[in-house]
Amino acid sequence: MNARWSNPVLLAAMVLLFIAGLFSGPAQLAWSEEWRALSGEGSPTAVTIMWQLRLPRLMTAVLSGASLGLAGLLMQTYFRNPLAGPSVLGVTSGATLGVALVALGGATLGWMPHALNMAPQVMGALLGSGAVMVLLGLVMGQFRSRTALLIFGLMVGYLAGALVTVLQAGAEAGALQAFVHWGMGSFSQGGWTPCAIVAVALVGAVFWVRRTASLLDMWTMGALTARTMGVDERKLSWGALGTAGVLAGLVTAWCGPIAFLGLATPHLVRAAGAPRRHAGLLWPVLLTGATLALFADGVVRWFGVPLNAVLSLVGAPVVLMLIIRRGRWSSSQAQGA
Amino acid sequence: MKLKLTCDAVELAHPREGAGALSFDLPPGSAMVVLGRNGTGKSTLLRTLAGLDLPKRGTVTLGPQPVAKMPPRRRAAHLAFVSSTPPRGAALTVSEVIELALEAGGHPASLDRIEAALEQGGIAAWADESIDTLSDGMAQKVMLARAAAQSDSVILLDEPTAFLDVVGRREVMADVGAWRDQGKAVVLATHDLDAVEEAGWADRWMVMRPPAKGGSLIVESPFTSDAAKELLTA
Repeated sequence: MNARWSNPVLLAAMVLLFIAGLFSGPAQLAWSEEWRALSGEGSPTAVTIMWQLRLPRLMTAVLSGASLGLAGLLMQTYFRNPLAGPSVLGVTSGATLGVALVALGGATLGWMPHALNMAPQVMGALLGSGAVMVLLGLVMGQFRSRTALLIFGLMVGYLAGALVTVLQAGAEAGALQAFVHWGMGSFSQGGWTPCAIVAVALVGAVFWVRRTASLLDMWTMGALTARTMGVDERKLSWGALGTAGVLAGLVTAWCGPIAFLGLATPHLVRAAGAPRRHAGLLWPVLLTGATLALFADGVVRWFGVPLNAVLSLVGAPVVLMLIIRRGRWSSSQAQGA
Repeated sequence: MKLKLTCDAVELAHPREGAGALSFDLPPGSAMVVLGRNGTGKSTLLRTLAGLDLPKRGTVTLGPQPVAKMPPRRRAAHLAFVSSTPPRGAALTVSEVIELALEAGGHPASLDRIEAALEQGGIAAWADESIDTLSDGMAQKVMLARAAAQSDSVILLDEPTAFLDVVGRREVMADVGAWRDQGKAVVLATHDLDAVEEAGWADRWMVMRPPAKGGSLIVESPFTSDAAKELLTA
């Protein structure tokens, strides 16, 4: 796609999906009723459906998709690894473990109500994703190859998964049910408060990426070259890992461990021929992430399939394709890691 | 303004047996070839000169300041580094690399300047190609042009010809001579004795050796491959 046209086209696709989502749903309201409800008039039920269900759900999808896309881009750049992403390197698993500790462990100890309690859950997710990010940053230098890093992420995922299973086995039934439901992923569990919090984090992340774009470009040439081109490695590492960790952690806290969105978005953008430098990649990645999330949410609403099932059906083939095409970079693996 | 690189009684952190205390000046318009067998500390010396590694003792200064304490962006404007392996997986075009180099050097990255740098580096023909699709030799040429576009004062080259064919080597050596004539200071670590001799500009060269083998020494006379071999194998 021509770079000049890609942003308007993506924006249009996103807006169309948003409008389609806004004016459709199981409630079968009439167009005129939906339209009136948007301005706060008409039946209270319609107003509630529009303002408390559909709009926050669609906004959650837009913000989550954009956040995960950006987190994926930052991780792929930082680790110089096309297969990096929050769900691949164990970041989502870390956040999941954090949520499980709060939601399941807490309920078992009796200091939490049955339903998922948001504030501690968000803290749990942020601590979990943050811990994995710090761990990844610390061990990154030890790995000679990119594959080793991916295996590390996989093992962190297994470990976190095992601990979650232990917590599940001991959990009380109500808390377990809520946790399993959360784990399927959904954009409907949020509300306006999470939307506002994710939006603030996303705006901060966008500003950081815009300011750091050239340094991120230099980083893709390797740590040594980047450092001698003026990149402060420590600052860039904390910035990139911190930003990706916060975005992925926040989204996971409210929407569950969302699969593949962060990994696949930057690839789709690059495959569509978007510019290579980060300043030019930023908007296509945000818009593509949001559009994909809205599309997946639409499938969820129409067919009643869990979100993670939809995303895996699309995302897994993308990863397979990448591995098959991997020959292009595997020969120089050792240099980049 | 061009800055002078000074190495004052520097003892390297690696290798453990050391390379002796190294002292030398690199004023604008000078070049030094660094020779030494594997593991004698050539790369460590270059990394120390670049401020990436700290010396065990002594100081490296670039202009008035210790190089390791300079703010990274200011240092980048006066010191560029090229390693033996060109980057892979960078997903940048050749002209984007040059644009970034000008930015890193604190120069305005105007189209004219980018074109001039591409022209000077002899890489204008590949301007719009991704550096990932270039051969190792071509990509290394891009990295040399990148260093020249970035740094006003010092360019450090760590075995830049390791992957290059005979023509590529000759071109790198010619580039180093040209940079020196433009008033830049160049340090070139290499095993490529013949190419250095053929280029003919080297009149200052250092042989790195552990203290047990006589320690490192700096020779100030026209370079010959035979003299270098003798010192290396002594």
